[in-house]
Amino acid sequence: MHSHLLILAQAAGPAVEAAAQNGGAASGISKILHDFGISWPFFLAQVANFCLVAVILWKFAFKPVLATLDERQKKIADGLRYTEEMKAKLEAVQQESAASARKAQAEATRIIDEARKSAKEFLEKQSQETTAKAGEILTKAEQLIELEKRKMLAEARTEIARLVVETTQRVLSKELSDAERSRYNESAARELTNI
Amino acid sequence: MASNAKAAQKLARQLFAMSVVDGAVSADRVSGVLAYVEIHNPAHSLTVLKAYRRLIATELAKGVAEVEHAGAVSDAMLGAIAAAMSKRYARTVTASAKPSPGLLAGLRVRVGDDIYESSVAGQLAALASSV
Repeated sequence: MHSHLLILAQAAGPAVEAAAQNGGAASGISKILHDFGISWPFFLAQVANFCLVAVILWKFAFKPVLATLDERQKKIADGLRYTEEMKAKLEAVQQESAASARKAQAEATRIIDEARKSAKEFLEKQSQETTAKAGEILTKAEQLIELEKRKMLAEARTEIARLVVETTQRVLSKELSDAERSRYNESAARELTNI
Repeated sequence: MASNAKAAQKLARQLFAMSVVDGAVSADRVSGVLAYVEIHNPAHSLTVLKAYRRLIATELAKGVAEVEHAGAVSDAMLGAIAAAMSKRYARTVTASAKPSPGLLAGLRVRVGDDIYESSVAGQLAALASSV
């Protein structure tokens, strides 16, 4: 209601001034005011009341609400900023984690390759050593067999020679006659005197 | 102790040198040496006499050719061997026969530490060692 009056007063203000300026128009304005039931004291009191209510509302309602809104907006902005920061940090952490994972994967791959390489080299070395040892054992066994064979042959040869000599001695001791011994002695004497 | 043994050996060699005449051991010289030792009784006389006896025995062995034989051996053979050894050692060497049936046939002559052999047993032994 008061706002309508105010609007009317504001709208009528220029017209009243114009009527005052024009002289003849003053009665027209007064007539309009009278028709609308506008009384200057009431009008001014309502304006004062309106201003008072507006001031009170501004001070005790609008300002706290605006402050609360500003605070909430600030909190929301802080929250959004914090969210953005957290998002950025999360992305950085994710990137860092991914980099660490890639690095760890590369390191693990390298270690596995080195382990495979070492295992392969060790296996080859063991194989070579085993082959060499087997060859050495085989060679030694062959040498031992050859040595045993030679030893057996030498022993057999010695034994055979001993048996032959012994048999020959027995035979000769029985079969040689005195005449043969004498002839042999003469031959031996000639041999010894010609030394 | 060692110096005493060396001195005894040296004296024994000196006495032995005096006992040899013309490359042969003289019985008279040996008797004279023994009389000298008995009278003068030098230091370590027992050691001296042992060394002297060994030297004399070795020298006498060089003058005897011990002929081992299997089967009959004639004096002519012994004489020929003695003559050959005397010529070889440039001294008078006598031969003495010693039967040794182990030779089977042939002779083995031992002069001092030297041995000369021509026997069936020796040839068989050589054959056995060469196989």
